Order: sequence, then C-alpha cells, then structure tokens
Amino acid sequence: MIEINHKQQIVSQATEQVLIKVVGIGGAGLNVIDRIVLDGVVPGADLVVMNTDVQSLTSSVASQKIQLGRGVTRGLGAGGDPDIGLAAADEAQDDIRKALEGASLIFLCVGLGGGTGSGAAPLVTGIARENGALVVVLATVPFTFEGKRRTAQAGDALNALQATADAVICFDNDLMGEAVSPKAGIHQAFAAADETISQCVRAVAGLFTQPGILHIGFDDLCAALRPASGGAGRCLFGYGEADGDNRAHEALARALRNPLMDRGRMLDESHNVLVNIAGGPDMTLNEVQMLMEDFAKHTGDETQILFGASVDPGLTGRIGVTVISSSAIAISSGAAAPAFVPRVVPTAVPAPKVSIPAPREPVEAEEPSPAAPEPEDVAAAADPEPALVAATAADEDEDEGQQASLIPAEVRPAAPPRVPRAPRQPRILSATTDPQPAAPAARREERQETLQFEPVTRGRFEKSEPTIVDGQDLDVPTFLRRNMKVS
Amino acid sequence: MSRDHILVGLEIGTSKICVVVGDSKPDGSIKILGVGQAPSRGVRKGEIVDFDTAQKCVHEALVDAEEKSDVMIQSVYLGVTGSHIASFNNRGMVAIPEEQEEITDADCDSVRASAREVSIPSQNMFIHSILQHYYIDGQEGVLNPVGMLGRKLEADFHIIHGIGTRVKNAVRCVKEIPLEVEDVVFTPLAAAQVVLNQHQKNLGALAIDIGGGTTDYLMYIDGAVRQSGSLGIGGDHITNDISMGLRIPMARAEKLKNEEGSVMLGMSLPGETVTLKDDSGFAGKEVERETLNTIIHMRVRETFELLRRQLEAGGDLHLLGAGIFITGGTSLLRGIDDLAQEIFELPVHITHAQTMSGLTSAFENPQFSTAIGLIKYAQAVQMDRPSSWLSKFIPIFGRRR
Repeated sequence: MIEINHKQQIVSQATEQVLIKVVGIGGAGLNVIDRIVLDGVVPGADLVVMNTDVQSLTSSVASQKIQLGRGVTRGLGAGGDPDIGLAAADEAQDDIRKALEGASLIFLCVGLGGGTGSGAAPLVTGIARENGALVVVLATVPFTFEGKRRTAQAGDALNALQATADAVICFDNDLMGEAVSPKAGIHQAFAAADETISQCVRAVAGLFTQPGILHIGFDDLCAALRPASGGAGRCLFGYGEADGDNRAHEALARALRNPLMDRGRMLDESHNVLVNIAGGPDMTLNEVQMLMEDFAKHTGDETQILFGASVDPGLTGRIGVTVISSSAIAISSGAAAPAFVPRVVPTAVPAPKVSIPAPREPVEAEEPSPAAPEPEDVAAAADPEPALVAATAADEDEDEGQQASLIPAEVRPAAPPRVPRAPRQPRILSATTDPQPAAPAARREERQETLQFEPVTRGRFEKSEPTIVDGQDLDVPTFLRRNMKVS
Repeated sequence: MSRDHILVGLEIGTSKICVVVGDSKPDGSIKILGVGQAPSRGVRKGEIVDFDTAQKCVHEALVDAEEKSDVMIQSVYLGVTGSHIASFNNRGMVAIPEEQEEITDADCDSVRASAREVSIPSQNMFIHSILQHYYIDGQEGVLNPVGMLGRKLEADFHIIHGIGTRVKNAVRCVKEIPLEVEDVVFTPLAAAQVVLNQHQKNLGALAIDIGGGTTDYLMYIDGAVRQSGSLGIGGDHITNDISMGLRIPMARAEKLKNEEGSVMLGMSLPGETVTLKDDSGFAGKEVERETLNTIIHMRVRETFELLRRQLEAGGDLHLLGAGIFITGGTSLLRGIDDLAQEIFELPVHITHAQTMSGLTSAFENPQFSTAIGLIKYAQAVQMDRPSSWLSKFIPIFGRRR
C-alpha cells in the first residue's frame, strides 16, 4: 500500500549521494533486520533497531539499538497494545531523533498488528521526516490466523503511516506464507516473509545506490507503487537472481514466482510496473532484450513499464531482476488479502481526529451495533435501515469468495486507533461490531465497475500452464474477461 | 510392399491421437492405407501432461491403425506443437574461398549453420530451419546455388524452435512403446503440405490449423515459409467456455458445440432455444441459441484477432494472394469461415487434405490434415528427388538430426 505525500516530493531530488538507514521497529522489524544482516548487509546502509523488549534487543545483531519506553514498559514488550507502543516511542523521542540524524533515505521495517510496531512506527516516521529524510515504510500486515483484533490494529497503523510516510509498501503475510509448504513450521512462514522484505530493501536501496545505465529514480518507484485506480494498493514485489546459461529467463521466472506476484498474473491489473535488471559487467544487451520480451507477455498494452538497468560488479556472472508494482485492492481475485480500504472508506480519517465516547465498547458488547452512537454512522445517516444495508451487502459479498470474510478487516480501520481500549472482549466484539453500515455500503458502490458475475475461474484449465498473451489469461472464458452478460 | 514405402504419421493431439498409414508411390502420389485413432487423454494444449495415460492412448491408436491398414508399424513421423514453439527469420552468410571455383553442398550446409548462430533461449532446441531464398553476391532469387560461381553465399531461413525438454517428452512417449521416431515435425508445417498446393504457396497463403488445444499457423509467401507459430487456444477453450457459461458438464458442452453451435451472431430467431437432451434422450434444460453462439463467437473472434495482431506484426498479411486456409477439427464449426473473412478481410477457405488416393473418408476430414500432412512431409524427405517441389526442404530436414 502506498500513499505519496506530495509536499515532500522535493526532498527526493537529493537522493543521488545518499546515506541510507534501515530501521526495524518491534519484534517483526527486528527479525527483518536480522534477516537483512544474514543475507548480506545493504551497501552503505546503517542498521538501527528499536524495541520495547530489551531481551530481543540484546539478541539483535544491528549496530544501533534503541530501547523504547524505558519508563513505560520497563524493558518488557508492549503487550500487543499500540497505545503503549506509542507512549514508549514518545518517551524515547530524543534517542530516535539522534539515531536517524543525517540519513537521507530511511527504510522502516515494521510488522503491524502488535503493540510496538503499530504504535511506534507512525511516530518514528514523523521524526524521520522532520530531518528531511525520505521515508519508505515496509510494513507487513498480520496473517489472518492471528485474529481480527491484530488485523484491525494493523489497519489503524497503516492509515497513520500512509499519512506520514513518503511511500508505504505493504506486504501481505498471508500471501507470502503461501510460498511455504503446508508442512513447514510456522517459523518458516514468518521467515519467508522476512526474506521477501529483506530482498525488497536491498533491491530498492540498490535502485538508488548502484550506478544505473538506465537509472530509476524515486519518482519511478512512486509511480510503480501507485495503483491505476488511485487510492490504496497492495504491493506486488518479486526479486529473482540466477546464473548459468539461461540466467535471464530463470531470474525473471524466479521474480515472478514470488507469491506476491501470483505467477505474473497480477501484473495484468497494474498500471505502472517497475522493472530493474542488475547484472555484472558481462550482462549482454541480448539477455536484457530477451528478458524484457518475456516480461512483456505478462503485462497489458496499457501498462507502462518503468525500466532500469544497472551494472554491479558484485553480480558478475549473475542477473538479478526486481519487479515492483501495485494492484488496487477492490479486485475480486480469490487471493486471501486482508484488504484495507483506508482511502475509499469515508470514515477512515487519520487517527487523532477521531474522538469516541468512552463507553463505546461495553455498549456494543450488549446490544447490536447500529444502535451504538459512532461518528462513522453519520456517513450512512441518510439510510433509514443501516443494518439491513449491511446485511445485504454482506450477503452479496459471499459470492465473491473469500471477500465476505474480509469485510470485518476493512471495517475495522474505521475504529478509533488511539483511544484507550477497554479490556478485550474479542469474541463478542467481533460478533457485534462487524456489520457496520457505512463501510460495506461504500465498498459496494466502489466495486460496481469491476463487478464480476462469478469468480474468475479457468475451468478445465485450472491446473494447466496458463496461456498468457498481453497480460491476459486466455484460459478464462472470453465472455467473462469482457464482462459480457450471458444467459 | 517394401517397408521403405510405408510412411506413418502420428499426431498426439489434445482431443484425439491420430495415426495415418500411407503408401508412397514412386510417382510421388500417396495412397492412404488406414487411419487409426483414439480419444486423447493426458494431453493439454497440444502437450503431454500425463505421460502414462497419453502413452496408453498412443498405443491404442497405433493398434487401431495396424489393424485397419494391415501393416506392422515400426517408425513414425511425429507431429509436435504447443505454445512454447516460436519462430523467426534469419539470414546466414558464408564467404567462398578464393581458390574455390564453384559453390558446393558443403557451402550450403555452412550457410545454414551460420543462420542458426542466433541466440535462442538456452533451453530451446531448433526444430526446423527452412530455406527461403539463396543470394549469391547479393543477387536475389537463386533457387539452387550448387555449381554456380560466386564469392559470397547468403541464405534466408525460417527457424522454428521450441523448448527442448517438451519436444523430447513427446518423442520419449513414442519411443517407449517402442517405436522409432524418424523425425519430429511442427504440425502446421505438416498440415500445410496437404492443404496448400504449390500454386497457392507461391501466391501467398496462410494455413491455420485449429485443433483441440492449440491454434497453429504457417504462412507461405512466394513459395517460402515466412511466419509460423502456435497459440495455446483451441476447441477445448470453446467447450470450456460453454461449460462454464451455461453451467453444464464438459461432455455435454462438447456435444452442444458440435451439434448446435455456430460462431455467427444474429442468425437465430429471437428467443429461439436449444433443448439439451440428457443421456436417455429426454428433454432437459433449455438454452437460448443466441447465448450459446455468443459464447462461441467471442472466443473465436478473440482468437482470430490475436492471430491477426501477431501476423500483422510480421508485416506480411497484405501479401497473401491465395488467402487463408483453415483446417483442423475446430474448422468444422459453423460459420467460422465467415467470421475469419470478416476479421482478416481476406478470402477464407475451409479445407482438408488434397491430392491423395485411398480412404476418401480419411483425407476429406479436416481433423486428419496434420496426420496426413506428416506422411506427405515424410515422402518429400525420403524421396530425394531433385526436381520435386519440396526438394529444397530435403537437405534441411534430412540432416537435421
């Protein structure tokens, strides 16, 4: 997911000679930093970690460590509460400011959904921006199995981050976990996610630091991360590296094999795609040509390919391909994306503006939600029977495969992010607050254009190699792809 | 009947496996002795996806052919296709040494080798390199340079290549039966040998073979192969579309397509319906005819439009003097020629194998064009007759492997 703050675009001019800092916040952020170190440090980059939990800080291998919330948490974790995370970061403001000083490009790796990451990340982003640095946030949203509460917290934090950061690249843990075999342990699922982010940091940092024959700038990156329809997007990222005779072909195949890419099928929907090819001095024009021809098969005619090529002596004998793009979230693909629609849901305002009556949650726990006075309801006030709308909207959504189950996730960002929360009552809460009228109604409207008559399937060809021409999967019936109505 | 004259073509298609046994006569004609076929399983889009099942089907078809033709089959010419197969044109060049008087066969070989010195993906293998024209010292249109004088010999080739492992899989499937594979042939090249005559090739003709899983094409301009390729869309896709659009099983959809389907729109009365009969013959679900035709129309139109775009990229579409010749099982679809005519804006013919004797029912069916074409191709390779209209292929194909 990405949002560009246009006021800060000027800063990007000065990214030619850059000091890069890679910052990890919270437990997940630390893991990513460790992974980055394992994979080989990003050239010219400082690694900084921040956490409330001292134990994990000491085991981190980063060069700079900042303990958040010395007084608030006293060296323990934030307990999954973003408010504590925020307070902890607030306490350590000076340390953070000092650590980030002088950097002109900052990568912020954070796992949203927990306490420290969700709470502290927006504040850290703000501090980083004060110093005039360009901030790229790489955020993960939790696995679905981590529960709706965490998904909701992640949604809140993401909203806040999009308001403050220059670019937000949002990784979907569910999708990344698909790369892991079902029998693998859970740590592997998380490790796979960390690895993807680590690759992304290295690739994006490489874009700015390596001498490019065809240079890619920050503007290109921003363009690639902006979905066609405007608004929020989900990041499509793939990186592949290969050597040997067939390295160009293999590298691209590996990049597209990334689960975030869905074997290249997703690219059809994106408007701008950034492709960067890095190779040693032995990379030939022919290889680049073949690779790009291969790649063009996966994109439509209208897709703009932002192409870059760079030579890195460290890659001698190898070729690395980076593909970055984004797809709008409202697409009714079967992918299990905990989709957030912060921009289209009218109620999703930046956190501090929402003030909520304190007794909200207890009230909801006892009676059906529409009765609860929520500011969001203003949006749906014209509707005489909000509950009914919500119900029908939800019904219709069931046709859309997994989307029905995602509604709670989309709705939740509407909840006030920083309000002190009552003691948790997760089950009751989710049962009663889910069908909030405003968001499903807005979502239904927004989806009108891309409404499919049925989920896009390939029938008999479901398991065979897809025939992809100009970015279209030709195995899907023509009348479905053109949204023709039959019978 | 000496074995040398028996030629067998084997096509492992997506919908059926077809074996044609032919007798090559010394005068160049071919008599079809028998056709064996078996419904195909384990093949998708022209490529084998289930090895064992496909092998069983091949075996069935071979036994069928042996029974009908009363011939022991020992070796076959194997047709291969699949969307991984691609082609391009390239020119090879050799300099003739000063001391050498005239151009020799060896020079022709080395010019062909030089034409292959291009980069194709390393996993790919060359399937054919087909000679288009020779040039001697820049002079165009030389048909046979051997014996002529010159300092520089150049030649244009049409090179067809595909992913090596996939081609070899098909070969292995046959070899394990066990049968010898004399040569592998890109299927539209085989089909073009029997659906086009020399006159049409000279005028410029496009052969389109629409099978179950793929749509293969080959274009002749001035008697030389100019473009060829394979698109992974075929009759199966139409059936799949119908099955999904009308929510009926594949088998029912296939039957409906064959018996009632048409690609032309607006030909049915408003509200006209087709009744789906179930297995026992009782009337079942009713389907509006126009709906059925719309589904078929959209798929076929899209396929032709894609094809047209690919061919236009080559820039030779306006050179087709004789027009377009459609063959293959899906060419039996009603109205497909009218639609093709509308899209390509060229004369379109539905055609089948010509100039054969023997089983009329076999060669008059467009479904068998490719398998029969394989025999015709094999004959041209085996009968090394210098005056044959196919003679210029011989050195290329004969020494390919």
